[in-house]
Amino acid sequence: MAYEYIKVEPDPPIATITLDRPKVLNALSPAVIAEVGQALSELDADDAVRAVVITGGPKVFAAGADIGDMAERSAAEQLNRDQTGAWSPISGFKKPLIAAVNGYCLGGGCELALMCDVIIAGDSARFGQPEINLGIIPGAGGTQRWPRTAGKFAAMEVMLTGGMIGARRAYELGLANKVVPAEMSVAVAQRMARQLAEKPPVAVRLAKESVQKAFETSLAEGLAAERRSFYFLFSTDDQKEGMRAFLEKRKGVFKGR
Amino acid sequence: MATEVEQHVMLHTHDGVGLIRLNRPEKMNAIGALTRQQLGEAIKQAERDDAVRVVVLTGSGRAFCSGADVTEMVGGGGMRTPEDVGNVLRNEYMPMLTRLRTMPKPTIAAMNGPAVGIGASYALACDIRIATPEAYLMEAFINIGLAPDGGVSWLLPRLAGTAVAYEMFFTGKALPAEDAHRLGVINRVVPADRFEEEVRDFAGQLAKQPRQALAAAKRAVNHALESSYEGALEFESYLQEAQAGSQEFADGVQAFLARRKK
Repeated sequence: MAYEYIKVEPDPPIATITLDRPKVLNALSPAVIAEVGQALSELDADDAVRAVVITGGPKVFAAGADIGDMAERSAAEQLNRDQTGAWSPISGFKKPLIAAVNGYCLGGGCELALMCDVIIAGDSARFGQPEINLGIIPGAGGTQRWPRTAGKFAAMEVMLTGGMIGARRAYELGLANKVVPAEMSVAVAQRMARQLAEKPPVAVRLAKESVQKAFETSLAEGLAAERRSFYFLFSTDDQKEGMRAFLEKRKGVFKGR
Repeated sequence: MATEVEQHVMLHTHDGVGLIRLNRPEKMNAIGALTRQQLGEAIKQAERDDAVRVVVLTGSGRAFCSGADVTEMVGGGGMRTPEDVGNVLRNEYMPMLTRLRTMPKPTIAAMNGPAVGIGASYALACDIRIATPEAYLMEAFINIGLAPDGGVSWLLPRLAGTAVAYEMFFTGKALPAEDAHRLGVINRVVPADRFEEEVRDFAGQLAKQPRQALAAAKRAVNHALESSYEGALEFESYLQEAQAGSQEFADGVQAFLARRKK
């Protein structure tokens, strides 16, 4: 399908989604989120695609939401637009989702990055939740995902001051997996996506699901879920192939079965 | 009637070299509120202007820069409380010193004379220093009961080692250009009569170098200064990959091969 605000480039076994509104620094309007959600829903259903990169291109990831669109709205209007639901194809995406972040990654943009599984930061990346300066707070998971990743105090600092942190600090906080030169971040993310695309897809999916569980359940429940997935994987062809290949000292070829 | 604003700082661009000159010779180029504002603007403009490929920072008259205008710190000029002192460092000096150290083009301090206090901070924040034999670096803070500022606690130990840095911070004594040269803090010392010409030639040479490769070298060093050895190796590998795909590399290799054939 055709998109107005994003570019979707499938290059099996991976695909790249690029936020494409450079004039407004890739501000995330509901329409943009809807398009990203639509694209991810389609890519989730596409067996040829095994990992996805999401980026804002070389200069900026996404500098927050469309403020002009929100300024005069009432609480009821905001509630009825159900933006939370619009984000769910992103946070619920089942395949590995890698963010390549350059420049500003603020507000909703930062929350989008935090929904991803891996963040490759360009050295120009700046992360932050400036909502407080507008009299609101993050509304797409920022206050929940920051502390789960960077800890309470870094999260508080970012939420309460509305200030930004650079790529290096983000890396030190565990918010970015890697810091690379900005012009290389998309390529590095795509390479990583290709590496992940070679792994057994069912195991990849369950590994992702299992790690996500760690943020949502008690340890006992998480461990039980992990064990169920672990046993389940012994019913897949890919497990047999993977272990045989290991014993035969060759590279496994996985079919996702 | 509008009063003419004094020009404490001048930016002149010629042949790829952006020359920023502190222009208060009667005050040994001391830095006051107006100087700070104009210097900040000049540095920003030099960074943004594509016609500027190399930035040179120098003084006029006998000094490079004698430091902060202390008369302003204790009297008028809008800086009175201790908090003001901190705020000026954080809000005014910090951004422009950071800009000098991280802008994607080489910065050269042409030390036509002494660089004292915050003046030394500017000289040390540049990538390269060229000085006259009469020039010196001096961390004079201790002489008036202050602590080092303007980034020298970070820069000087890296450039000269902690022993030299501590001696300068503790004694407030000058480090003459020749000594600084021997320590590797100053790149070259040039007699006053040839100084400007030598600075111009050197800056002119850098201005002819491939600009993206210059910027990459600076990014690599700045990244490495805050990373592990492995981190530096990895960052370099990606920078090199970007550079290997550039027109600069294609041109450079072609020129290299053409030279060998001769």
